[in-house]
Amino acid sequence: MLGEFEYALITAAAGLGDKAYGAAIREEIEVAILRKCSIGALYTTIERLEKKGLLKTWMGEATPQRGGRAKRMVLVTEAGELAAKNFYDAVMRVSTNARWAMEKGESLS
Amino acid sequence: MSSLVQTSVEVISRLLEHDEREAVLGDLEETGVCGKAALRDVLGLVLRRKLEAWKSWRPWLTSLGLAVPGSFLLMGFSLSVSQAYQNLLAPKVEHATGLTVGPGFTLLVCNILLLVGWSWTGGFVIGSVSRRTVRVSAISSFVPCLFCLSRFHVESISRFSLLLFLFPAIWGVRHGLRLAQINFKPAFFMALAVTLLTLPTWSTSGSWLPNWALSWPAWFLVVTAWRDRPRKEGSTWQPV
Repeated sequence: MLGEFEYALITAAAGLGDKAYGAAIREEIEVAILRKCSIGALYTTIERLEKKGLLKTWMGEATPQRGGRAKRMVLVTEAGELAAKNFYDAVMRVSTNARWAMEKGESLS
Repeated sequence: MSSLVQTSVEVISRLLEHDEREAVLGDLEETGVCGKAALRDVLGLVLRRKLEAWKSWRPWLTSLGLAVPGSFLLMGFSLSVSQAYQNLLAPKVEHATGLTVGPGFTLLVCNILLLVGWSWTGGFVIGSVSRRTVRVSAISSFVPCLFCLSRFHVESISRFSLLLFLFPAIWGVRHGLRLAQINFKPAFFMALAVTLLTLPTWSTSGSWLPNWALSWPAWFLVVTAWRDRPRKEGSTWQPV
């Protein structure tokens, strides 16, 4: 099963689609979890997930606003999507009777 | 101050692999992170990468299991070879009376070959098994060298005779870094040759421990070559 940060990273990358790369994913994660995300945590997790076959990465084109340096592009694989879905389902199931989940459900309805 | 921090970021980021360095420095540039924040980010990633390598058994094996004991033993053996050379050949060479090839000379040649074999295979294993920590392994083997050099007081022999093993060892490390492993046949014949060259010392009690402490890298290369043999069939040296 994925860890919390791994799930956040896969979900952010999936949401960004073909625009998913290091800096963009980092920004998405920081907005979502309301915490700073270090570059160290980001890139070591990307590598770990790639080794597990949940992500694919490659070097993209260099752009002037990056000082002529290339981006590390990220793509979520089918296995990655499945792992994220399983994590999400598990969180939803385990949260069913939790007070905060019920309050959230009531406010939505 | 800021240029010093920026230079530090550039220098420290060189410890990362090329592609990762490009991506990280590009991300920092794009998001406008600079100064101490950039330094903290890059330093954090470098530390994570370096520490990550030590989660594996490989760097422990190469630094503590091979570099430290191996350099101590090989220094002793280098000294022994130097002494044998001095006693056997140096006076004859000096007087230019020609060489007398006897059992002592054969033993000296065997020991020189053994020194080269042990040092090269040890260096190769250090270079190939844990590339990311090869600097730590190098330091692990230089510390015993410095320790012994500082305490070496034999007037008739140069203290640098302790370091004879370094040349084939560095040669082995360079090969190990460049190549993943050796094919089974050359690995096997090299290990066999190294083991056969230790035969003259088998009659000496207590020599089996240093012999095997220095011979295991050769047999380690045989085992790894044998393990990967079906996938590596048909090629000689395997580039990384």
